[in-house]
Amino acid sequence: MNPDLLQAIQTNLLSPAVLFFLLGVTATLLKSDLKFPESLYITLTIYLLLAIGFKGGVAIHSAGLAKVWLPAVVSMALGAMIPLWVYPVLRHLGRFPPVDAAAISAHYGSVSAVTFIAAVNYLKESSISHEDYAAAFLAVMEAPAILVGVLLAKLGGTSGGDRKLGIVIHEAVVGRSILLLVGGLFAGWASGPKGAEVTAGFFIAPFQGVLALFLLEMGMVAARRFQDLKKVGVFLIAFGVLAPLINGTLGCWLGSLVGLSLGGCMLLGVLAASASYIAAPAAIRLSLPEANPTLYLTSALAITFPFNITLGLPIYLEIALYLGGSQP
Amino acid sequence: MNTHSMKQVTIVCEAYAREPLLTLLSEAGAHGWTLFEVEGFGHQGRRDADIPEYANIQVQVVLQPSAADTLLERLQSELFPKFAMIAYESDVRVIRAQKF
Repeated sequence: MNPDLLQAIQTNLLSPAVLFFLLGVTATLLKSDLKFPESLYITLTIYLLLAIGFKGGVAIHSAGLAKVWLPAVVSMALGAMIPLWVYPVLRHLGRFPPVDAAAISAHYGSVSAVTFIAAVNYLKESSISHEDYAAAFLAVMEAPAILVGVLLAKLGGTSGGDRKLGIVIHEAVVGRSILLLVGGLFAGWASGPKGAEVTAGFFIAPFQGVLALFLLEMGMVAARRFQDLKKVGVFLIAFGVLAPLINGTLGCWLGSLVGLSLGGCMLLGVLAASASYIAAPAAIRLSLPEANPTLYLTSALAITFPFNITLGLPIYLEIALYLGGSQP
Repeated sequence: MNTHSMKQVTIVCEAYAREPLLTLLSEAGAHGWTLFEVEGFGHQGRRDADIPEYANIQVQVVLQPSAADTLLERLQSELFPKFAMIAYESDVRVIRAQKF
C-alpha cells in the first residue's frame, strides 16, 4: 500500500472527530451506561445541518451562481444515477427482493451530511482548500436517489400504493435534513458575508466541538447496530464497503471533469460514497414499508458510515489526487 | 358513582407510523388520544429510541365499543402490513360517557 495513504489514514484516525467516534463505538462495545437523549441527537443534527448550509450559502453568495450551477447539476445527476447500477447488483448478485434492492440503492444514491462535514474537516486538517459552496452539492444530492429508488421498486413490481409517490416526494423534499440544509443555504446566500460575520460566534467557532460531540453519539448509534450485522449477511457487508469505493471513484472523476479543485473532487467523491441515514430512511419507510429496514439502516449506519469516516476519507483524497484533481 | 363501560385501545408502534395512525384514529371516531415516546423489544428487533429512525410510540385511546371494533379492524387491514406495530383493547369505565 502507498506509504502516503497509510500516513493519511493514521492522521485521520488521530483527528478529534474520529477519536470521539471511536470513543462512542468503544463505549457501546464495553456496555457503558453512556447514552444521549434522542432530543440531543436531534438538536445536534439541526445545528450541524444549519451551520453547514449557512456557510455554503455565504460561499455561493461570494462565488456567484454562475460558478455553482454546473457542478451542482452534475452532482444531482450522479445521485440519481447511482441507484441505477446499485439496484441490479443487489438484485442479481445479492439476490435481494426488488423492494429491498430498491430501498438500499436509494440510501446509497442519497448522501450523509455528517460524512460530508467530516470530509470538510479532514481537508481542513490536511490544509487542502476546497470550493466552500460544495454544501450546495450535498443539498441537491439528497432527494433524487430516493425518488429513483422508489420508482425502481414500482418497476420491480412492488404493490402500488394509493398516495405513496406523493408521500415520498413530500418526505424527500421537506424532510428535516433537506429543509434545514436548503433553508440554511438560502439564508447564507441571502445574507452574504455580513450574515456570516454576525453568526460566526455561533455557527463557526463551536462547530468543531459540536461535530466531535455528535460523532461520539454516532459511534454509539453505529455500534448498537453491530449486532444486526449477522442478520444482513456477508454480501451486504462487502457491498457496504465496495459500493462506496466505486461510487467515490465515480464522484472524484466527475468532479475532475467539471473542473473542481482537488478538495472539491474529493468532496464530490465522499458525497457519492456516502449513504443516507436521515433523509432516506424516513422517506423509504413511509413509501416502501414492505422493505426491510434492518437491511438498509444496518448497511448505511453500521458499515458504510464507520468505513467512510475512518478509512474512506483518506482513500477518496488519494483517488482524487490520482484522477488529476488539481492542487491549487 | 355512576360509571360507563368503554374500550381502551393501546397501540405500540414505530414512530414513522405516527401520522397515518393519528389520521386513522380520528376516522374511526376517536375524540382524543394520548401519546408517549417509548422504547422496547419485539418481533422486528430492539427499538432503542436513540435516533428517530429507531423511535417508538405508544398511543392510548378510549372509545365507544363499536368504534373500537372499527379501529382494530382498520388497523389490521391498513397499518399492520406496513409498520412494526401491536394493538390491544381492554375494558375501562369512565365517568363522562359523552366525552368519548
